[in-house]
Amino acid sequence: MVILERIGFYFQTVLHLASDPIHIAILFGSVILGIMFGAMPGLTSTLGVALLTAMTYGMDTATAMICLLSIYVGGTYGGSYASILINIPGTAASAATALDGYPLARKGEGGRAIGLTTTASAIGTIISMLFLVSISPMISFFALQFTSFEFFLLAFFGILISGTLTSPDLVIKGWIAGFLGLFLACVGRDMLQFYPRFTFGIPELDSGVEVVPVLIGAFGIPQIIQVLKEKFQIGETQKFQKIIPEFGTIVRNIPRIIRSALIGVGIGAVPGIGEDIAAWVSYGAAKNTSKHPERFGKGEITAVLSTEVANNACVGGAMIPLLNLGIPGSPPAAMLLGALMLHGVTPGPMINFEHPNFIIEVAAILLLASMAMWIVGMLLAKQVVKVLRIPTQIFMPIIGVLCIIGSYALGMNIFNLYLMLPVGIISYFLIEMGYPIAPLVIGVILGPMADENLRRALMVSQGSFLPVFTRPVALLLFLVIVWTVLSQFPLFKNLKDRLLAKIRPRKFRKTDTVQDD
Amino acid sequence: MLEKQNLRKADIYSGAIICLFGLWVILQALKMPMKDSWGGVQNVWYVSPAIFPLLVGCIIMLLGGLLCRTGLKTIGFKAFAETVRWLSSRALLQFLNSIPNLRFYAIVVLLLSFVFLNIPRIDFFLSAVLFLSVFITSFYFDVAEVLKKLFFFYLAGIIVLIIYFSIGLNEPLSRVVPFPADILALCFIVAYCVYAWRLIRNDVTLRKKYRTAMIVAIAAPFIVGMIFKYFLLVPMPAEGLVVAFMDYFWYLEFLE
Repeated sequence: MVILERIGFYFQTVLHLASDPIHIAILFGSVILGIMFGAMPGLTSTLGVALLTAMTYGMDTATAMICLLSIYVGGTYGGSYASILINIPGTAASAATALDGYPLARKGEGGRAIGLTTTASAIGTIISMLFLVSISPMISFFALQFTSFEFFLLAFFGILISGTLTSPDLVIKGWIAGFLGLFLACVGRDMLQFYPRFTFGIPELDSGVEVVPVLIGAFGIPQIIQVLKEKFQIGETQKFQKIIPEFGTIVRNIPRIIRSALIGVGIGAVPGIGEDIAAWVSYGAAKNTSKHPERFGKGEITAVLSTEVANNACVGGAMIPLLNLGIPGSPPAAMLLGALMLHGVTPGPMINFEHPNFIIEVAAILLLASMAMWIVGMLLAKQVVKVLRIPTQIFMPIIGVLCIIGSYALGMNIFNLYLMLPVGIISYFLIEMGYPIAPLVIGVILGPMADENLRRALMVSQGSFLPVFTRPVALLLFLVIVWTVLSQFPLFKNLKDRLLAKIRPRKFRKTDTVQDD
Repeated sequence: MLEKQNLRKADIYSGAIICLFGLWVILQALKMPMKDSWGGVQNVWYVSPAIFPLLVGCIIMLLGGLLCRTGLKTIGFKAFAETVRWLSSRALLQFLNSIPNLRFYAIVVLLLSFVFLNIPRIDFFLSAVLFLSVFITSFYFDVAEVLKKLFFFYLAGIIVLIIYFSIGLNEPLSRVVPFPADILALCFIVAYCVYAWRLIRNDVTLRKKYRTAMIVAIAAPFIVGMIFKYFLLVPMPAEGLVVAFMDYFWYLEFLE
């Protein structure tokens, strides 16, 4: 009965949102803007969400969410345009799409590839939305059993895992980035005793480091510097004919779609890692299970399908930990968290009590955004790809102005700019030296949660760490953290290999030896 | 991102800096109340505001040390000594003078001057037009020699503005002329545009790019600024000559 009631309310919300012409205008406008952000190499959906957050300041929460989720969905999908038509991924999420999308465009099947990515992206988003609605109550229920120790360990785990998985170089650099983020979160008066920490007598720092300017600086400024410093040029766009929705291909590949969606939702739900990793994992899975792996990289339609379903399924996946635990599942989700806080919504286990219908609303918006994205993709793709002709040297400085005015507009505080720019320049150097930026941002966001919960937990246990070992969830999280850290050290890897070799039955070892011989 | 071998070399330095930074965090945290009274509250170590920064500082220091060690282990002391020699040689100067680095300096100087110098003191629209016209023309022309000349011209203008504001000329001048800083910025924009035009006037392609750059540089701040100022009701960081002029029309002040 409750489930039927929830389904009924869900469709009621969809109808309610869709019946307002302003909502529809914002929905389509944001999707188009998102696609443009995704399509232009050098711009990302994270930056799109970051810049639009300032614009949503005066809107009500539902309208703001329509705006931001639509740009997120559109941005994730839009990256495929540049991948397919110019062989340069518009976003990291669509890098895997370029491998087979561009060969398809060169064969004269660009319209078919774009049609397929449009339909696949819409399906990916819708499947992830279903997961968001169905899994969220369970996660919220479990999260309600969490005490301060669990929340502290969860925040710690989020930073470590995002550092581990997003680091382009050494894993240690990902962790350093995460802990630098945690340090930034320490700045300001602490929430329990109001003691000023690392404020150096600057009154503007008393309230701590503002999340949104840090996010805009960390994601926007390095992007501007990189693109203009390296003289990034956009290549010639491949021509394409009519865009075909490719329903036949979709029906023939239902198992692949489900697998890719599961990969996307699963990876999206892991803190800090996003669409790019989901797309690559899905591409690898599609290649490994294909009857014709040799066709991959030469214009295989199922490869394009798998990557696009997975990267868009990440959107809903990233919403699951964001809404239920307050831990962002991907960099754009981190930006959304900042926007939600701005609108007075604090994601976490209490969200179902404080805002009982919020998750349903988010799911309804995701459905509408995916539909709007499909319609825009089918009807306006030819017009939207014209943005690829704008030289980067023209739009990057404008993005600079938007980053600056966007950071200022949140709180109308000029100090935000003084914070945003140094963070951006430092982030640029960190990126150049192989440090990932997502863990830093996640550290800034999860820092207050980790700090408060650690001290609250110790207060309750009178300074004892014993509850970590007596509470099952805390112990599990602790063991996972220890495993995540130790598994990166060669000594532990050797030990693990030796242990596995001992544990492996003698019979298998004999067979191995025979085969080796 | 740098190449693998260079990354390891950079890791030694970045690891050492991070390690020292971690140490600094610990030292700062040790100054926070641990067991003594703060605001009338007697502390115990586990609720001290220092506990979390101490934990973070220790981990940063440890990880920085590990990174430094990994870098040293991978490239060896010999390669590290070579890097130190390179840092004190002429090759470093050549590297710093390279075109990509010049582009980097130009971007950073533009951003820093826009945020720290112009935005708080000059009308937002004027500072944004100045920022965009310099930024777009410098990079859109895509000629290293032109970029160099334009950058140094801009730098000279910025130095003039710094002197103007630091000696406090704005205050007495504003009693005589309204919006003196904005007028100075306007003169700077005009001078820059004339100088850029003189540099490229003989090249047809660059002339076309100049026109496009100027249109975008003037139109974009007005579109963005008007959305924020009049539709989102966000007051600009500094409102001067242009904002006063626009307010006059927007609020129909001429009818009063």
